[in-house]
Amino acid sequence: MNDNYLWDRSGEPDPTVQELEEILGTLRYQPRALEIPNDIGLRGNRTFLAKLAIAAAIGLFAIAFGLWVNFNRHQTVPAVESRHDSPAEQKKNDTPAQSAPNTGNGAQLAVVKKPTPANVQKRRRDPGRTLVAQNKNPDSAPRPSTLTPQELAEKEQVLLALRLVSAKLNLAQRKTQGLPQSNLIRNQHKIG
Amino acid sequence: MLEAEATADMLLMTQPFSAPKIEDQPVEVALVKAVINGERDRFARLYEMYAPLVHGILLARVPRDEVDDLVQDIFLHALKKLHTLRDPKAFAPWIAMMARNRAMDFYRTSRQTVEVTEQMAIARSPNRTAKEILDLIRQLPDAYRETLVLRFVEGMTGPEIASRTGLTPASVRVNLHRGMKLLREKIGIV
Repeated sequence: MNDNYLWDRSGEPDPTVQELEEILGTLRYQPRALEIPNDIGLRGNRTFLAKLAIAAAIGLFAIAFGLWVNFNRHQTVPAVESRHDSPAEQKKNDTPAQSAPNTGNGAQLAVVKKPTPANVQKRRRDPGRTLVAQNKNPDSAPRPSTLTPQELAEKEQVLLALRLVSAKLNLAQRKTQGLPQSNLIRNQHKIG
Repeated sequence: MLEAEATADMLLMTQPFSAPKIEDQPVEVALVKAVINGERDRFARLYEMYAPLVHGILLARVPRDEVDDLVQDIFLHALKKLHTLRDPKAFAPWIAMMARNRAMDFYRTSRQTVEVTEQMAIARSPNRTAKEILDLIRQLPDAYRETLVLRFVEGMTGPEIASRTGLTPASVRVNLHRGMKLLREKIGIV
């Protein structure tokens, strides 16, 4: 069987194939004009609009990201500055408050600066820090006594009188409440 | 024995045959690019070139009365979706696949079709009309009936069918041979 005629119409014609060609050829496609509606869009417009939309989305995202970064920077910078506040700057800040007593009539006014929240937070976060108070401010250190020997003797007499009064008041209180008398020897060092 | 030799010749491609005509390919590529760039009038030329292919594919699957309208619909749909075609050389296989899918959609959407029954096919008459033979071809497997319709109805040669459907020449040749054998059995010519 030679299929060349069936394949490409070459060679000896096959009668059956020829007959089928003649019969089925009547159903062949009849040319008909294609009616293209005007509302069918082509790729060009869609591509341009798609690119425009993508560019707009990227632009909006960049603007939003920039605003977000800028906003966060403004929020974090003050906290960092207060956290790294140097002692010299603190001293500078304390200067007006400490110079106030000098302007008065010699009265000793204790001005305590309220610590900022950032400093409080710093102390809480520092695990190696102890609760022992350390006075690092040389201006607030205890000053040496400037009393004269006579004044010191008078001070000792006043303290002794106060201790005696306190002991007698304590004794009277115990008598009124019916409690046994405490060992006076135990508090002897207080009486002097 | 002769049939076996013919099949071996087809599979091994020992028999000389003319190479697929690709002379239309550059024209097709240029037309596709021109239409994508906005020259809609060029699409009419693509329609003239490939309407027989789409017509044959549809005729092998859907009722004849519906074919002409479906051909128009498929080409209009192709015009809308032409920008999705990455390789302009593949326009013919692309629109052929579109026609096959549209034929499947036709049977999904329309329920008022009448299946060709075996009894209708068996009823033979000496003088067969084109419609009867077409009904017999439609009972064959997809690959055979499409190839036979393109060959007998649209008058394409095997190489033309291969170049336009995207199938290999060997596949088309086997489909023609086996489809013709099945058709002969159905017609009663052995």
